[in-house]
Amino acid sequence: MKTTLSQIGSSPFQAVSTLGAVGLFFVRILGAIPHVLARPRALVEQIFVVGAVSMSLILVGGLFVGMVMGLQFYTALARFGATSALGGLVALALLRELSPVVTALLYAGRAGTSLASELGLMRATEQFKAMEVMAVDPVRRVVAPRFLAGVLSVPLLTALFSAVGILGGYLIGVRLMGLDSGVFWTNLRESVRFRQDFLNGEIKALIFGILCTLVALYEGYHSDPTAEGLGRATTRSVVIASLAVLSCDYLMTAFLYR
Amino acid sequence: MSPTFPDDGAAVRLLGASLERGGREVLRDLDLDVPRGRITAVMGPSGTGKTSLLGLLSGELAPSRGRVLVEGQDLAALDRGGLFALRRRMGMLFQEGALFTDMSVFDNVAFPLREHTRLPEELVRVIVLLKLEAVGLRGAADLYPSELSGGMARRAALARAVVMDPALVLYDEPLTGLDPISMGVILRLIRDLNRTLGLTSVVVSHDVQEMLTVADCFYLLADGRLIAQGDRASIRAQAASSPWVRQFLEGEADGPVPFHYPARPLWDDLFAGEAA
Repeated sequence: MKTTLSQIGSSPFQAVSTLGAVGLFFVRILGAIPHVLARPRALVEQIFVVGAVSMSLILVGGLFVGMVMGLQFYTALARFGATSALGGLVALALLRELSPVVTALLYAGRAGTSLASELGLMRATEQFKAMEVMAVDPVRRVVAPRFLAGVLSVPLLTALFSAVGILGGYLIGVRLMGLDSGVFWTNLRESVRFRQDFLNGEIKALIFGILCTLVALYEGYHSDPTAEGLGRATTRSVVIASLAVLSCDYLMTAFLYR
Repeated sequence: MSPTFPDDGAAVRLLGASLERGGREVLRDLDLDVPRGRITAVMGPSGTGKTSLLGLLSGELAPSRGRVLVEGQDLAALDRGGLFALRRRMGMLFQEGALFTDMSVFDNVAFPLREHTRLPEELVRVIVLLKLEAVGLRGAADLYPSELSGGMARRAALARAVVMDPALVLYDEPLTGLDPISMGVILRLIRDLNRTLGLTSVVVSHDVQEMLTVADCFYLLADGRLIAQGDRASIRAQAASSPWVRQFLEGEADGPVPFHYPARPLWDDLFAGEAA
């Protein structure tokens, strides 16, 4: 009886204590941020490693998402004779939802996994222990610069995704389907509001960047120091970050676009 | 509040230290003195808590009972800052070297200097090259850890461990997985560095014969307990009286450490089905 009860209780208890551990890890990282800013070179290096590697993926992804939307929306709008609304529709869908979410998912798959596996490898080969013994705090030296780099990269990547996506919509709508170029851009400019649409999307991207990077770093830093542990941490970082992004997106949409 | 610790020549001292991990006591009531300026070997079969013992000495693990004194300071009484200050005078060689994979050998060795000192880069370069020269890897300064053999990685890590001129160096299984030549090189380095830099060394290892050639002082662990201690001659003498010490020193397959993992009698296992 007691064991059954404790089994029922154990998984929520574990979930709460894991959340607490992630929270403490987050606080430790935040405490180390001033030290990162004192060493801008390491930060720039990490922005290159974390952000730039995701760029080709973001560019190709954005272009195709924009092109697909151009095609789908154009055919749907054509039935009502409303193809002139294409520019605004594509831009709003991208800026508000698709760019932050898809960028975060791609980022979690590309940069998140590489962060988790890099840290997992450092854990497995005792590199963190070695740092501790050398009186160097690994969170300050390794984790915090990667965190800040990730958090700064995702909003930039999101903006890039939107730009390329709009270009994709333009290519299909105007160049392929023959919509007037002036109509496309005018409608886009009239529909999109800078603060409500663009900035809110960027706020989402910032939060997603924090989520994805934190999850990847936490999983990698706390992985079992074995080959299996490394693989598990990498997989978990994508799964958890993706779920977090998708569920958080709903909540944020509900709050930001009331 | 740690009591004043008489400078009687012990750099590290364990007083009745026990350690629990995962609800199991891996070290029990250890009393151990590491004499200053000597090489102390801690030996024992795999899984007897030798590496955990190093964790106690570096302050990574806290004893569940008893005390750990390093250079007269009780580790339990130190906060994180105090522990980090003590660790700057401590070097550690990890089993596989634990070199930072994203840095060259040079940068690995320079790492502690760049983190803890404000030395100009030219001086860092001189110090690092001298340490690399001492381990014979000056020519490999620009290589990355993935380009090194096991023995070379261990030597580079050794250069990194002594680059801050520590007072105490801890070695975790420094010979495991090395070929005989690399083993000889590492042994020579442990001995030479200890002498030339005036270090105190603690070597955890199960390579008995090799340790008997370099160390001055021996502790044998089994099942988390100390079962023999002394200098080279007295350890050899104890082999005659203690079957355990003999089994370990001679590498006998069966003895006080049984060949068989605990199991029920073979007969029961083989014919249990027929009896039922």
